[in-house]
Amino acid sequence: MTEAEFDPVALATPFFILTIILEIVLARLGKARANYEVKDTAISLSMGLGSTLAGLVTAGLAFAATLWVYEHRLFTIPMTAVWAWVAIFLLEDLTYYWFHRLSHERRFWWAAHVNHHSSQHYNLSTALRQTWTGGVAGTWLLWLPLAFLGFPPAMIAIQKGISLVYQYWIHTEAIGRLPRWFEAVFNTPSHHRVHHARNPVYLDRNYAGILIVWDRLFGTFQPELDAEPCRYGIVKNLGTFNILRVAFHEWIAMAADALRHPSHALGYIFGPPGWSHDGSRETSAAIKVRALGAPINTPLIPAHAGTQASSFTPAAESRTDPASLG
Amino acid sequence: MDEAFFIQLALSAAAVGALVAIVAWAKIAKPVRPLDDHKARVLLAEEFPTRSIDAIWTASDGAGALAKSGGMALVLCRVGDGFAARQIPWPQAVSATFRNGRLHVNLDDIAAPAATIRLPSWPPENLTKDLAA
Repeated sequence: MTEAEFDPVALATPFFILTIILEIVLARLGKARANYEVKDTAISLSMGLGSTLAGLVTAGLAFAATLWVYEHRLFTIPMTAVWAWVAIFLLEDLTYYWFHRLSHERRFWWAAHVNHHSSQHYNLSTALRQTWTGGVAGTWLLWLPLAFLGFPPAMIAIQKGISLVYQYWIHTEAIGRLPRWFEAVFNTPSHHRVHHARNPVYLDRNYAGILIVWDRLFGTFQPELDAEPCRYGIVKNLGTFNILRVAFHEWIAMAADALRHPSHALGYIFGPPGWSHDGSRETSAAIKVRALGAPINTPLIPAHAGTQASSFTPAAESRTDPASLG
Repeated sequence: MDEAFFIQLALSAAAVGALVAIVAWAKIAKPVRPLDDHKARVLLAEEFPTRSIDAIWTASDGAGALAKSGGMALVLCRVGDGFAARQIPWPQAVSATFRNGRLHVNLDDIAAPAATIRLPSWPPENLTKDLAA
Protein backbone atom coordinates (compact mmCIF):
# COMPACT_ATOMS: atom_id res chain seq x y z
CA MET A 1 0.00 0.00 0.00
CA THR A 2 2.87 2.39 0.64
CA GLU A 3 5.49 1.34 -1.86
CA ALA A 4 4.74 0.86 -5.56
CA GLU A 5 5.03 -2.77 -6.65
CA PHE A 6 6.23 -1.65 -10.07
CA ASP A 7 7.61 1.53 -11.56
CA PRO A 8 6.07 2.35 -14.96
CA VAL A 9 8.97 4.64 -15.85
CA ALA A 10 11.64 2.02 -15.12
CA LEU A 11 9.67 -0.55 -17.10
CA ALA A 12 9.31 1.85 -20.02
CA THR A 13 13.00 2.81 -20.22
CA PRO A 14 13.90 0.18 -22.87
CA PHE A 15 10.86 1.39 -24.84
CA PHE A 16 12.17 4.97 -24.61
CA ILE A 17 15.55 3.94 -26.00
CA LEU A 18 14.16 1.82 -28.81
CA THR A 19 11.64 4.42 -29.95
CA ILE A 20 14.28 7.17 -30.01
CA ILE A 21 16.42 4.94 -32.22
CA LEU A 22 13.36 4.26 -34.39
CA GLU A 23 12.58 7.97 -34.74
CA ILE A 24 16.20 8.74 -35.68
CA VAL A 25 16.37 5.96 -38.25
CA LEU A 26 13.02 6.86 -39.80
CA ALA A 27 14.10 10.48 -40.04
CA ARG A 28 17.42 9.42 -41.57
CA LEU A 29 15.51 7.44 -44.17
CA GLY A 30 13.17 10.36 -44.84
CA LYS A 31 10.17 8.39 -43.59
CA ALA A 32 9.35 10.59 -40.61
CA ARG A 33 9.72 14.19 -39.64
CA ALA A 34 12.34 14.60 -36.92
CA ASN A 35 15.46 16.65 -36.39
CA TYR A 36 18.17 15.73 -33.93
CA GLU A 37 21.26 17.82 -33.22
CA VAL A 38 24.15 16.10 -31.48
CA LYS A 39 24.80 18.52 -28.60
CA ASP A 40 21.12 19.19 -28.06
CA THR A 41 20.41 15.46 -27.82
CA ALA A 42 23.32 14.94 -25.46
CA ILE A 43 21.98 17.67 -23.19
CA SER A 44 18.41 16.34 -23.28
CA LEU A 45 19.43 12.79 -22.44
CA SER A 46 21.93 13.88 -19.80
CA MET A 47 19.29 16.05 -18.17
CA GLY A 48 17.07 12.98 -18.03
CA LEU A 49 19.79 10.89 -16.46
CA GLY A 50 20.65 13.66 -14.03
CA SER A 51 17.05 14.12 -13.00
CA THR A 52 16.98 10.52 -11.82
CA LEU A 53 19.88 11.26 -9.51
CA ALA A 54 18.61 14.68 -8.46
CA GLY A 55 15.24 13.17 -7.60
CA LEU A 56 16.90 11.03 -4.95
CA VAL A 57 17.75 14.16 -2.95
CA THR A 58 14.14 14.91 -2.12
CA ALA A 59 12.54 11.51 -2.74
CA GLY A 60 12.81 10.54 0.92
CA LEU A 61 11.21 13.76 2.12
CA ALA A 62 8.41 13.56 -0.44
CA PHE A 63 7.74 9.93 0.43
CA ALA A 64 7.77 10.60 4.19
CA ALA A 65 5.41 13.56 3.78
CA THR A 66 3.05 11.51 1.60
CA LEU A 67 3.07 8.70 4.14
CA TRP A 68 2.39 11.08 7.02
CA VAL A 69 -0.52 12.66 5.20
CA TYR A 70 -1.87 9.23 4.28
CA GLU A 71 -1.83 8.25 7.94
CA HIS A 72 -4.18 11.19 8.56
CA ARG A 73 -6.43 10.40 5.58
CA LEU A 74 -10.14 11.07 5.34
CA PHE A 75 -11.08 7.75 3.73
CA THR A 76 -9.47 4.42 3.01
CA ILE A 77 -9.53 3.78 -0.72
CA PRO A 78 -8.79 0.21 -1.83
CA MET A 79 -6.11 -0.32 -4.48
CA THR A 80 -8.06 -3.27 -5.83
CA ALA A 81 -11.23 -1.38 -6.79
CA VAL A 82 -11.69 -0.38 -10.44
CA TRP A 83 -13.54 2.78 -9.44
CA ALA A 84 -10.53 3.79 -7.36
CA TRP A 85 -8.24 3.59 -10.40
CA VAL A 86 -10.70 5.59 -12.48
CA ALA A 87 -10.89 8.18 -9.73
CA ILE A 88 -7.14 8.50 -9.31
CA PHE A 89 -6.66 8.65 -13.07
CA LEU A 90 -8.91 11.71 -13.21
CA LEU A 91 -7.72 13.36 -10.00
CA GLU A 92 -4.03 12.79 -10.67
CA ASP A 93 -4.42 14.19 -14.18
CA LEU A 94 -6.24 17.23 -12.80
CA THR A 95 -3.44 17.69 -10.26
CA TYR A 96 -0.91 17.43 -13.07
CA TYR A 97 -2.71 20.12 -15.06
CA TRP A 98 -2.48 22.60 -12.17
CA PHE A 99 1.09 21.63 -11.33
CA HIS A 100 2.02 22.21 -14.95
CA ARG A 101 0.15 25.48 -15.17
CA LEU A 102 1.84 26.71 -11.99
CA SER A 103 5.17 25.62 -13.43
CA HIS A 104 4.66 27.97 -16.38
CA GLU A 105 2.89 30.90 -14.81
CA ARG A 106 5.01 31.50 -11.67
CA ARG A 107 8.71 32.09 -12.01
CA PHE A 108 9.77 30.10 -8.92
CA TRP A 109 8.38 26.90 -10.41
CA TRP A 110 9.24 27.93 -13.98
CA ALA A 111 12.87 28.01 -12.83
CA ALA A 112 12.58 24.27 -12.21
CA HIS A 113 10.57 23.49 -15.34
CA VAL A 114 12.19 25.74 -17.94
CA ASN A 115 14.89 23.27 -18.90
CA HIS A 116 12.27 20.86 -20.25
CA HIS A 117 11.40 23.60 -22.75
CA SER A 118 14.85 24.94 -23.51
CA SER A 119 15.58 22.75 -26.52
CA GLN A 120 14.93 24.26 -29.93
CA HIS A 121 14.01 20.75 -31.02
CA TYR A 122 10.91 18.70 -30.49
CA ASN A 123 11.63 15.01 -30.61
CA LEU A 124 11.46 12.02 -28.30
CA SER A 125 14.72 12.98 -26.61
CA THR A 126 13.10 16.27 -25.59
CA ALA A 127 10.66 14.28 -23.47
CA LEU A 128 13.56 13.05 -21.36
CA ARG A 129 14.95 16.56 -20.84
CA GLN A 130 13.74 16.64 -17.25
CA THR A 131 14.27 18.97 -14.33
CA TRP A 132 16.98 18.57 -11.72
CA THR A 133 15.31 20.92 -9.29
CA GLY A 134 11.63 19.97 -9.29
CA GLY A 135 11.91 18.24 -5.93
CA VAL A 136 13.59 21.25 -4.34
CA ALA A 137 10.87 23.50 -5.80
CA GLY A 138 8.38 21.41 -3.83
CA THR A 139 5.93 20.72 -6.61
CA TRP A 140 5.37 17.24 -5.12
CA LEU A 141 3.34 18.99 -2.41
CA LEU A 142 0.48 19.34 -4.90
CA TRP A 143 -0.07 15.57 -4.89
CA LEU A 144 -0.45 15.36 -1.08
CA PRO A 145 -4.22 16.01 -1.17
CA LEU A 146 -4.62 12.69 -3.01
CA ALA A 147 -3.03 10.92 -0.05
CA PHE A 148 -5.19 12.96 2.31
CA LEU A 149 -8.27 11.76 0.44
CA GLY A 150 -7.13 8.20 1.07
CA PHE A 151 -5.38 7.05 -2.09
CA PRO A 152 -2.46 4.81 -1.07
CA PRO A 153 0.97 6.33 -1.79
CA ALA A 154 1.81 3.36 -4.03
CA MET A 155 -1.29 4.02 -6.11
CA ILE A 156 -0.36 7.70 -6.48
CA ALA A 157 3.20 6.80 -7.49
CA ILE A 158 2.01 4.31 -10.09
CA GLN A 159 -0.47 6.76 -11.61
CA LYS A 160 2.19 9.49 -11.73
CA GLY A 161 4.44 7.05 -13.55
CA ILE A 162 1.71 6.13 -16.01
CA SER A 163 1.15 9.82 -16.73
CA LEU A 164 4.86 10.41 -17.31
CA VAL A 165 5.10 7.45 -19.67
CA TYR A 166 2.01 8.62 -21.57
CA GLN A 167 3.55 12.04 -22.03
CA TYR A 168 6.69 10.58 -23.53
CA TRP A 169 5.29 9.52 -26.90
CA ILE A 170 3.63 12.87 -27.61
CA HIS A 171 7.04 14.61 -27.91
CA THR A 172 7.36 14.06 -31.63
CA GLU A 173 6.84 15.73 -34.98
CA ALA A 174 6.66 12.33 -36.65
CA ILE A 175 2.96 12.00 -35.86
CA GLY A 176 0.65 14.55 -37.43
CA ARG A 177 -2.90 14.75 -36.18
CA LEU A 178 -4.80 11.80 -34.80
CA PRO A 179 -8.52 10.99 -35.25
CA ARG A 180 -10.79 13.81 -34.23
CA TRP A 181 -12.33 12.01 -31.24
CA PHE A 182 -8.85 11.28 -29.86
CA GLU A 183 -7.67 14.87 -30.32
CA ALA A 184 -10.82 16.04 -28.54
CA VAL A 185 -10.21 14.02 -25.40
CA PHE A 186 -6.53 13.20 -25.10
CA ASN A 187 -3.28 15.12 -25.14
CA THR A 188 -1.62 14.37 -28.47
CA PRO A 189 1.60 15.20 -30.33
CA SER A 190 -0.24 18.05 -32.05
CA HIS A 191 -1.51 19.56 -28.79
CA HIS A 192 1.84 19.20 -27.11
CA ARG A 193 3.78 20.69 -30.02
CA VAL A 194 1.74 23.81 -29.33
CA HIS A 195 2.76 23.64 -25.69
CA HIS A 196 6.46 23.54 -26.60
CA ALA A 197 6.26 26.32 -29.18
CA ARG A 198 7.46 29.88 -28.59
CA ASN A 199 5.19 31.57 -31.14
CA PRO A 200 3.17 34.19 -29.23
CA VAL A 201 -0.14 32.51 -30.04
CA TYR A 202 1.08 29.26 -28.50
CA LEU A 203 2.62 30.59 -25.29
CA ASP A 204 1.20 29.20 -22.02
CA ARG A 205 -1.23 26.83 -23.66
CA ASN A 206 -2.09 23.11 -23.46
CA TYR A 207 -0.90 22.20 -19.97
CA ALA A 208 -2.58 18.79 -20.04
CA GLY A 209 -0.93 15.58 -18.98
CA ILE A 210 -3.15 12.86 -20.44
CA LEU A 211 -6.56 14.49 -20.91
CA ILE A 212 -6.70 17.68 -22.98
CA VAL A 213 -10.19 18.28 -21.61
CA TRP A 214 -8.70 20.18 -18.66
CA ASP A 215 -7.36 22.84 -21.03
CA ARG A 216 -10.69 23.07 -22.78
CA LEU A 217 -12.39 23.35 -19.40
CA PHE A 218 -10.07 25.99 -17.92
CA GLY A 219 -9.62 28.12 -21.06
CA THR A 220 -6.00 27.30 -21.91
CA PHE A 221 -6.55 25.19 -25.01
CA GLN A 222 -5.00 26.19 -28.31
CA PRO A 223 -5.11 23.95 -31.39
CA GLU A 224 -2.10 23.69 -33.66
CA LEU A 225 -2.56 26.01 -36.63
CA ASP A 226 -1.38 24.98 -40.07
CA ALA A 227 -0.68 28.62 -40.86
CA GLU A 228 1.52 29.01 -37.78
CA PRO A 229 4.26 26.36 -37.76
CA CYS A 230 5.65 25.74 -34.29
CA ARG A 231 8.98 27.33 -33.44
CA TYR A 232 10.32 25.46 -30.44
CA GLY A 233 12.23 26.64 -27.42
CA ILE A 234 11.76 29.45 -24.94
CA VAL A 235 11.13 33.15 -25.44
CA LYS A 236 14.86 33.85 -24.96
CA ASN A 237 16.59 30.75 -26.26
CA LEU A 238 19.71 29.44 -24.59
CA GLY A 239 23.01 30.52 -26.07
CA THR A 240 24.99 27.67 -24.57
CA PHE A 241 25.17 23.89 -24.29
CA ASN A 242 26.76 24.06 -20.81
CA ILE A 243 24.60 21.60 -18.88
CA LEU A 244 24.98 23.44 -15.57
CA ARG A 245 23.71 26.63 -17.18
CA VAL A 246 20.87 24.66 -18.77
CA ALA A 247 19.88 23.21 -15.41
CA PHE A 248 20.24 26.28 -13.20
CA HIS A 249 20.12 29.42 -15.36
CA GLU A 250 16.66 30.57 -14.37
CA TRP A 251 17.32 30.02 -10.65
CA ILE A 252 20.47 32.14 -10.91
CA ALA A 253 18.76 34.85 -12.95
CA MET A 254 15.85 34.93 -10.52
CA ALA A 255 18.13 35.21 -7.51
CA ALA A 256 20.12 37.97 -9.21
CA ASP A 257 16.94 39.93 -9.94
CA ALA A 258 15.70 39.53 -6.35
CA LEU A 259 19.05 40.64 -4.91
CA ARG A 260 19.30 43.58 -7.32
CA HIS A 261 15.79 44.77 -6.47
CA PRO A 262 15.09 43.55 -2.92
CA SER A 263 11.94 45.63 -2.52
CA HIS A 264 10.48 43.83 -5.54
CA ALA A 265 11.88 40.41 -4.69
CA LEU A 266 8.48 38.77 -4.28
CA GLY A 267 7.46 39.90 -7.74
CA TYR A 268 10.64 38.55 -9.28
CA ILE A 269 10.26 35.22 -7.47
CA PHE A 270 6.53 34.57 -7.53
CA GLY A 271 5.41 36.78 -10.41
CA PRO A 272 5.00 35.37 -13.89
CA PRO A 273 8.17 34.73 -15.90
CA GLY A 274 9.14 37.97 -17.64
CA TRP A 275 7.71 40.15 -14.89
CA SER A 276 9.75 43.23 -13.96
CA HIS A 277 9.07 46.03 -11.52
CA ASP A 278 9.59 48.71 -14.19
CA GLY A 279 7.83 46.95 -17.05
CA SER A 280 11.06 46.68 -19.01
CA ARG A 281 10.46 42.99 -19.77
CA GLU A 282 7.55 41.10 -21.20
CA THR A 283 5.46 38.33 -19.69
CA SER A 284 3.78 35.77 -21.94
CA ALA A 285 0.52 37.63 -21.49
CA ALA A 286 2.12 40.90 -22.62
CA ILE A 287 3.74 39.19 -25.61
CA LYS A 288 0.40 37.74 -26.67
CA VAL A 289 -1.39 41.06 -26.38
CA ARG A 290 1.34 42.85 -28.33
CA ALA A 291 1.62 40.23 -31.03
CA LEU A 292 -1.99 39.26 -31.42
CA GLY A 293 -3.87 42.27 -30.16
CA ALA A 294 -6.21 39.84 -28.46
CA PRO A 295 -7.16 39.13 -24.87
CA ILE A 296 -4.84 36.49 -23.54
CA ASN A 297 -7.48 33.82 -23.00
CA THR A 298 -8.79 33.89 -26.54
CA PRO A 299 -7.72 30.77 -28.42
CA LEU A 300 -7.18 31.21 -32.14
CA ILE A 301 -9.06 28.52 -34.01
CA PRO A 302 -9.04 28.30 -37.78
CA ALA A 303 -12.25 27.46 -39.59
CA HIS A 304 -10.98 24.00 -40.48
CA ALA A 305 -9.45 23.17 -37.09
CA GLY A 306 -10.15 19.64 -36.05
CA THR A 307 -12.26 18.87 -39.07
CA GLN A 308 -9.74 16.78 -40.87
CA ALA A 309 -6.86 14.56 -40.14
CA SER A 310 -3.61 15.72 -41.58
CA SER A 311 -0.07 14.57 -41.51
CA PHE A 312 3.30 16.02 -42.18
CA THR A 313 5.08 15.29 -45.37
CA PRO A 314 8.13 13.10 -45.08
CA ALA A 315 10.98 15.28 -44.07
CA ALA A 316 13.32 14.79 -46.97
CA GLU A 317 13.66 18.54 -47.17
CA SER A 318 14.58 18.79 -43.53
CA ARG A 319 17.50 16.42 -43.74
CA THR A 320 20.80 18.01 -43.12
CA ASP A 321 22.77 18.87 -46.16
CA PRO A 322 26.37 18.54 -45.00
CA ALA A 323 27.46 21.01 -47.63
CA SER A 324 25.31 23.68 -46.06
CA LEU A 325 26.83 23.41 -42.62
CA GLY A 326 29.25 26.07 -41.55
CA MET B 1 20.67 2.54 -3.00
CA ASP B 2 21.44 -1.02 -3.96
CA GLU B 3 23.63 -2.61 -6.57
CA ALA B 4 20.74 -2.81 -9.03
CA PHE B 5 20.40 0.96 -8.95
CA PHE B 6 24.02 1.50 -9.93
CA ILE B 7 23.79 -1.13 -12.66
CA GLN B 8 20.69 0.61 -14.03
CA LEU B 9 22.47 3.96 -13.84
CA ALA B 10 25.53 2.64 -15.67
CA LEU B 11 23.37 1.08 -18.38
CA SER B 12 21.43 4.33 -18.77
CA ALA B 13 24.66 6.30 -19.12
CA ALA B 14 25.86 3.84 -21.76
CA ALA B 15 22.53 4.19 -23.57
CA VAL B 16 22.92 7.97 -23.59
CA GLY B 17 26.34 7.63 -25.17
CA ALA B 18 25.05 5.18 -27.76
CA LEU B 19 22.07 7.36 -28.69
CA VAL B 20 24.26 10.44 -29.09
CA ALA B 21 26.56 8.42 -31.35
CA ILE B 22 23.58 7.33 -33.46
CA VAL B 23 22.45 10.96 -33.77
CA ALA B 24 25.97 11.93 -34.91
CA TRP B 25 25.83 9.17 -37.52
CA ALA B 26 22.34 10.08 -38.73
CA LYS B 27 23.12 13.74 -39.54
CA ILE B 28 19.52 14.85 -39.19
CA ALA B 29 20.03 18.27 -37.65
CA LYS B 30 17.98 21.14 -39.07
CA PRO B 31 19.53 22.50 -42.24
CA VAL B 32 21.33 25.71 -41.36
CA ARG B 33 22.47 27.87 -44.21
CA PRO B 34 24.88 30.70 -43.48
CA LEU B 35 23.16 33.95 -42.59
CA ASP B 36 23.07 36.80 -45.03
CA ASP B 37 21.81 40.29 -44.22
CA HIS B 38 18.27 39.48 -45.30
CA LYS B 39 18.01 36.27 -43.28
CA ALA B 40 19.58 37.96 -40.27
CA ARG B 41 17.03 40.77 -40.46
CA VAL B 42 14.19 38.25 -40.68
CA LEU B 43 15.42 36.40 -37.60
CA LEU B 44 15.98 39.62 -35.66
CA ALA B 45 12.51 40.81 -36.61
CA GLU B 46 11.09 37.59 -35.16
CA GLU B 47 13.08 37.99 -31.96
CA PHE B 48 12.63 41.75 -31.51
CA PRO B 49 9.40 42.64 -33.31
CA THR B 50 9.14 46.09 -31.76
CA ARG B 51 12.63 47.22 -32.77
CA SER B 52 13.74 48.63 -36.08
CA ILE B 53 17.23 48.08 -37.43
CA ASP B 54 19.48 51.03 -38.24
CA ALA B 55 22.42 48.99 -39.49
CA ILE B 56 23.46 45.36 -39.52
CA TRP B 57 26.77 43.48 -39.64
CA THR B 58 26.51 39.83 -40.59
CA ALA B 59 29.34 37.48 -39.69
CA SER B 60 31.61 36.47 -42.53
CA ASP B 61 30.93 32.79 -41.77
CA GLY B 62 27.18 33.41 -41.55
CA ALA B 63 27.04 32.17 -37.98
CA GLY B 64 25.87 35.37 -36.36
CA ALA B 65 25.02 39.01 -36.77
CA LEU B 66 24.99 42.23 -34.85
CA ALA B 67 22.57 45.08 -35.51
CA LYS B 68 22.22 48.60 -34.21
CA SER B 69 18.74 49.50 -33.10
CA GLY B 70 18.61 52.93 -31.53
CA GLY B 71 20.64 52.76 -28.36
CA MET B 72 20.69 48.99 -28.34
CA ALA B 73 22.66 46.30 -30.12
CA LEU B 74 20.79 43.21 -31.23
CA VAL B 75 23.00 40.14 -31.25
CA LEU B 76 22.28 36.92 -33.07
CA CYS B 77 24.47 33.86 -32.68
CA ARG B 78 24.23 30.28 -33.86
CA VAL B 79 23.70 27.62 -31.22
CA GLY B 80 23.86 24.15 -32.70
CA ASP B 81 21.42 24.20 -35.60
CA GLY B 82 19.43 27.08 -34.13
CA PHE B 83 20.01 30.65 -33.07
CA ALA B 84 19.87 32.65 -29.86
CA ALA B 85 19.34 36.38 -29.72
CA ARG B 86 19.92 39.00 -27.06
CA GLN B 87 19.98 42.78 -26.84
CA ILE B 88 22.61 44.79 -25.02
CA PRO B 89 23.38 48.52 -24.79
CA TRP B 90 25.03 49.73 -27.99
CA PRO B 91 28.09 51.18 -26.22
CA GLN B 92 28.72 47.73 -24.73
CA ALA B 93 28.74 46.25 -28.21
CA VAL B 94 31.03 49.00 -29.52
CA SER B 95 33.54 48.37 -26.75
CA ALA B 96 33.49 44.57 -27.21
CA THR B 97 36.83 42.85 -27.70
CA PHE B 98 37.85 42.47 -31.35
CA ARG B 99 40.81 40.22 -32.04
CA ASN B 100 41.90 38.13 -35.04
CA GLY B 101 38.74 38.92 -36.96
CA ARG B 102 36.47 37.85 -34.15
CA LEU B 103 34.22 40.07 -32.09
CA HIS B 104 33.67 38.68 -28.60
CA VAL B 105 30.48 40.17 -27.20
CA ASN B 106 29.63 39.80 -23.52
CA LEU B 107 25.86 39.34 -23.38
CA ASP B 108 25.55 39.60 -19.58
CA ASP B 109 23.14 36.69 -19.45
CA ILE B 110 23.65 33.47 -17.52
CA ALA B 111 21.72 31.61 -20.23
CA ALA B 112 23.69 33.15 -23.09
CA PRO B 113 26.94 34.44 -21.66
CA ALA B 114 28.74 35.52 -24.82
CA ALA B 115 28.67 35.57 -28.59
CA THR B 116 31.53 35.41 -31.04
CA ILE B 117 30.98 37.01 -34.45
CA ARG B 118 33.49 36.94 -37.30
CA LEU B 119 33.77 40.43 -38.80
CA PRO B 120 36.38 42.11 -41.01
CA SER B 121 36.70 45.04 -38.58
CA TRP B 122 35.18 46.53 -35.47
CA PRO B 123 33.90 49.00 -34.35
CA PRO B 124 32.32 50.60 -37.41
CA GLU B 125 34.04 53.95 -37.79
CA ASN B 126 31.17 56.18 -38.89
CA LEU B 127 28.79 54.99 -36.22
CA THR B 128 31.42 55.37 -33.56
CA LYS B 129 31.99 58.97 -34.59
CA ASP B 130 28.26 59.59 -34.55
CA LEU B 131 27.99 58.26 -31.04
CA ALA B 132 30.96 60.24 -29.88
CA ALA B 133 29.35 63.38 -31.26
